[in-house]
Amino acid sequence: MDSCEITPGGSKDPGPCNFHRPRPEGSTKSALTPWLAPPILPRPMPVLRGAVTFSRFRVEPAKEAPSDIKRWLTRGLKAHAFEPIDRRSEDDRAAGFVELENADAVDFSVGRVFYGEYVLFSFRIDSLKVPASAMKEEMAKWSTNFEAENDRPPSRGEKTQAKAQIKQMLRTRATPRTNVLDVSWNQKTQQLQIWAASRKVVEEIIIALENALGLKLVGLTPAAIAQTSGIDENALGPTAELIGMDLPATSAEVAHGEA
Amino acid sequence: MAKREQARADAAFARGDVGVDGAATEETQDVAEVERGQAREQLLRGRAYLGRELLTWLLWRSETGDALVELEGTGVNVLFMGRITLRGVAGDVTELSAKGTLAPYSEQVKHALDKGLLVAQARIRFTHGEKEYEATLDSEFLDVRAAKLPALMSEEEDDQLNERLFLTEQLSAMIDALVGDFLKIRVGKTWSKQVVPAMKEWMRGDEQGANALSKAARARGRDARAARH
Repeated sequence: MDSCEITPGGSKDPGPCNFHRPRPEGSTKSALTPWLAPPILPRPMPVLRGAVTFSRFRVEPAKEAPSDIKRWLTRGLKAHAFEPIDRRSEDDRAAGFVELENADAVDFSVGRVFYGEYVLFSFRIDSLKVPASAMKEEMAKWSTNFEAENDRPPSRGEKTQAKAQIKQMLRTRATPRTNVLDVSWNQKTQQLQIWAASRKVVEEIIIALENALGLKLVGLTPAAIAQTSGIDENALGPTAELIGMDLPATSAEVAHGEA
Repeated sequence: MAKREQARADAAFARGDVGVDGAATEETQDVAEVERGQAREQLLRGRAYLGRELLTWLLWRSETGDALVELEGTGVNVLFMGRITLRGVAGDVTELSAKGTLAPYSEQVKHALDKGLLVAQARIRFTHGEKEYEATLDSEFLDVRAAKLPALMSEEEDDQLNERLFLTEQLSAMIDALVGDFLKIRVGKTWSKQVVPAMKEWMRGDEQGANALSKAARARGRDARAARH
């Protein structure tokens, strides 16, 4: 594998990582020209290096704590492990857990998940999209060929049929976009961090963790901390002098995650 | 009236979009009002105002340069720096962003705070002993973004991983300690009687602000002592 790295900012090192290779001479501007698929790159683990961006949670103790935590975790992660997109299906997205140091590995052996007091793993999201421009180009090319062969433009039905075939063909050639987000869980302090910037993705990982491990995660927001500390909710209405208007705490106050 | 237009008018009437006089049954909502409604919902949802009040309070307290809380026996100093985003529900402005190294403590920002905007996101430097951390905090979830950690001391990769995780937890612990301190004051008697008036005076840049500040600091000390006993 080429030794190219993606910087935390996402910029690519030139040279082996440059996917925008010149087209072969004489090739037409067709999307079906046999391009070389970009190699799967070693990714920087945010937990180890790169941008430090994470959401903070506390893991609520489970009512029935598993007797063998290591086995329970391995089994839970395996049950919701990442499975690549089936190109023959209609699916254009796949998500699941992978090992921290290898986004293609889903063995979750103890040595690859437990790092001292930490449990470390990742959540991988692959999405496959056929670019609209490529689709358009390919359709135009097909229409031209059809007209040249049949001396008539294609009918609507023929176009629809061709469109489906071209889409499937382009799907098999498209490279999925991969996003890998790390999860670090300190077993001692029961603090869990999801290393992602997008709230939407964070929420998807929370749901995946709930499903895989039955974890209950509480976001470390001031409201949640106040609730845990047993502070009376009535004492926490908005401060009118600071907000600039009287805004009584109403039923509109919905706890995060309950909305 | 042409047949097609008549059919359209009949359909609009059937849907209830227009009355018998052909006038719209519902007035279109004012865009500004819709925006304010959304801002209000955002503020109340999950008690997000608590996070904004926390960051605003932190900005006020940090101006003295003193350590604000203690973590593992060492004081934590806080300094706002660079970009700061304010959000509000009261006036015409629902969001305001200021950029500049000293922007968070500028008169313009204080003036906006006085008008009812609160700190929604800020770049903050945390100093804990000799260690310096920097992070952008958002008020709603207290998520940590683009944080800079102190330089790693370890050389081995495995040790570096543990050290990096330890440092992120230290940063998280500092945030939790500040939240804890804020909540203690927020539910105390001094919040509305002394702390908020002192903050308002500071926002207005009153000469008396400094006095109010020390008065509030004394009140905080009293509250803290009372909480310990």
